[in-house]
Amino acid sequence: MMLGQLRVIYSAFRLAMLHWIADPQWVIPNVIAPFVFTFVALTLFKGAGGPFGLYAVLGGGMMGMWGNTLYSSGFAIEFEKWQGTLEDVMATPSHLLHVIAGKSISNALFGLTNMVAILVIASLIFRVDLGVASPVLFAVSIVLTLLSVSALGLIFASAFVLSRYTQVFANGLEFPIYVISGSMFPIALLPFWIHPASYILGPTWGIEAVRIATAESIVPTVFWVNLSIMVVITFIYVLLAGFLFSKVETKARRDGSLVEA
Amino acid sequence: MPMLETSQLRPEPSKGKAIVAEHLSKTFRVTKGVLKRTKTPVVAVKDVSFEVDHGELFGLVGPNGTGKTTTIKMLTTMLIPTSGTASILGYNIQKDANEIRKRIGIVLGGERGLYTRVSAVDNLRYFADLYGVPAKLRDKRVEELLQFMGLWDRARDRVETYSKGMKQRLHLARGLINDPQVIFMDEPTIGLDPEIAKETRKMIQELVEKGKTILLTTHYMFEADELCRRVAIIRNGEIVALDTPSGLKKYVMDTSIVEVEGFGITEKEVCQFREASEVLAISAELGEDKQILKIQTARGSEIISQVQEILKNSRIYDMKIKEPTLEDAYLRLVEGSRR
Repeated sequence: MMLGQLRVIYSAFRLAMLHWIADPQWVIPNVIAPFVFTFVALTLFKGAGGPFGLYAVLGGGMMGMWGNTLYSSGFAIEFEKWQGTLEDVMATPSHLLHVIAGKSISNALFGLTNMVAILVIASLIFRVDLGVASPVLFAVSIVLTLLSVSALGLIFASAFVLSRYTQVFANGLEFPIYVISGSMFPIALLPFWIHPASYILGPTWGIEAVRIATAESIVPTVFWVNLSIMVVITFIYVLLAGFLFSKVETKARRDGSLVEA
Repeated sequence: MPMLETSQLRPEPSKGKAIVAEHLSKTFRVTKGVLKRTKTPVVAVKDVSFEVDHGELFGLVGPNGTGKTTTIKMLTTMLIPTSGTASILGYNIQKDANEIRKRIGIVLGGERGLYTRVSAVDNLRYFADLYGVPAKLRDKRVEELLQFMGLWDRARDRVETYSKGMKQRLHLARGLINDPQVIFMDEPTIGLDPEIAKETRKMIQELVEKGKTILLTTHYMFEADELCRRVAIIRNGEIVALDTPSGLKKYVMDTSIVEVEGFGITEKEVCQFREASEVLAISAELGEDKQILKIQTARGSEIISQVQEILKNSRIYDMKIKEPTLEDAYLRLVEGSRR
């Protein structure tokens, strides 16, 4: 990737961070809510044994990451329209994809801090033993899953450029992804016809890699296979998002749908 | 005020015209109805052609909703024309959109279009990055622009705490962040206090003195008269006249303006004037406390008795005959041709 594109991604990331700091009300739905979810799950399954603690923590963390990403993808466009800046941004030589990518990564990162907080609380208050066998592989898989989640958010963001119902779509897409990516419980528990949808989601493989990294006996090959599949899927997401953004931008320039509808 | 530094990356201006619009048209499809939806074509701009020289300040004037902003958006690559084409600095708006975006600045104006929760510095740095301003130049240019706009003292404050005039100056600063050769300004003084509007006009003039090409839309005729070398008057999406301000005034050289200030003048009486064959065009400001009519006529003082007759039920405070201005020419071209 060109240095200029990375600079645009970083600049959008920085601006999103500044907005988060300037306007911390988003902490409630995006940080506190997943935390409460984890708290409830750990309380319900306290002493149940098995990997419940892990699922509760991963589920809460994934909820934070995906919720933030989806929110940022949808709201990033809506926010630009509200501020009246979408046209100004699209009138620059930078690709809107890179701008939204920066915002998407920034929001997923906030979700990740939520996961870290959940991990600490789960360990200190609920004494959940996640038994992270390989902290390094755990960290690698979490960071790559975060990027995969961000890339998935980009695909949805392209559609949000055109629609005035972004918030409705964002709300509707939030829970299905938690469920079918296997963050809340193993996808084996889902009906078999949902499995293809699970397998085309990069985060499904990432969550599995995270889970493997916490297992007592890691099978490195399985870990890396899962992670590699996720990387390939994420790469396809980015290519697809780039293609969709180009198409959507052309359509928006033809229809005049860049301003607040 | 410090001079803006010209980017070393900037290529020499292209030969020929800075802006060339050739038969530009734009039709939007508007959805009507709720249960039974139908798409209706609405023509926003129709067959617009003009050229702007390098270093020229060109005005595009017309009433609201007549296609000024749509024209600017097509020229700045934000909208794709339905037909026709245009080039900026020799680059085609459809084929070379990115090359154009690097070389132009856009000032859309108004209170929106800025990130109000962050500072002016953060707004400008962000857009500098989006425009690919070299990192070593960025902060220097941000400071220079904020100094130039008189915003440096409040540069670190959140934009939401700025007055309307300060926001407008920040818009201007952002439009200059990439040191553009051509600047498009869409009603840059709308809604500003007279003093700040005057200051803004002064800044616009300084930019022209520095060699920038500016296309400005406005519906303030005195502004177009004061600033623009040439003015195109646009009505219902079509250019109805294009000339220098003095050239446009010639359209109304054979007329005089009867200006009436009174109380109790109603819309019905204004309609009576519109129907009178001696009246070429009329503008009416029907305020609560007083009403002002500007009647264009070729008969000069001969019309006064007719004015008194139509306004016999109203109180007339003052009536005078004036020389026509650019606003009158505009009124004649826009209002007169509707008759």
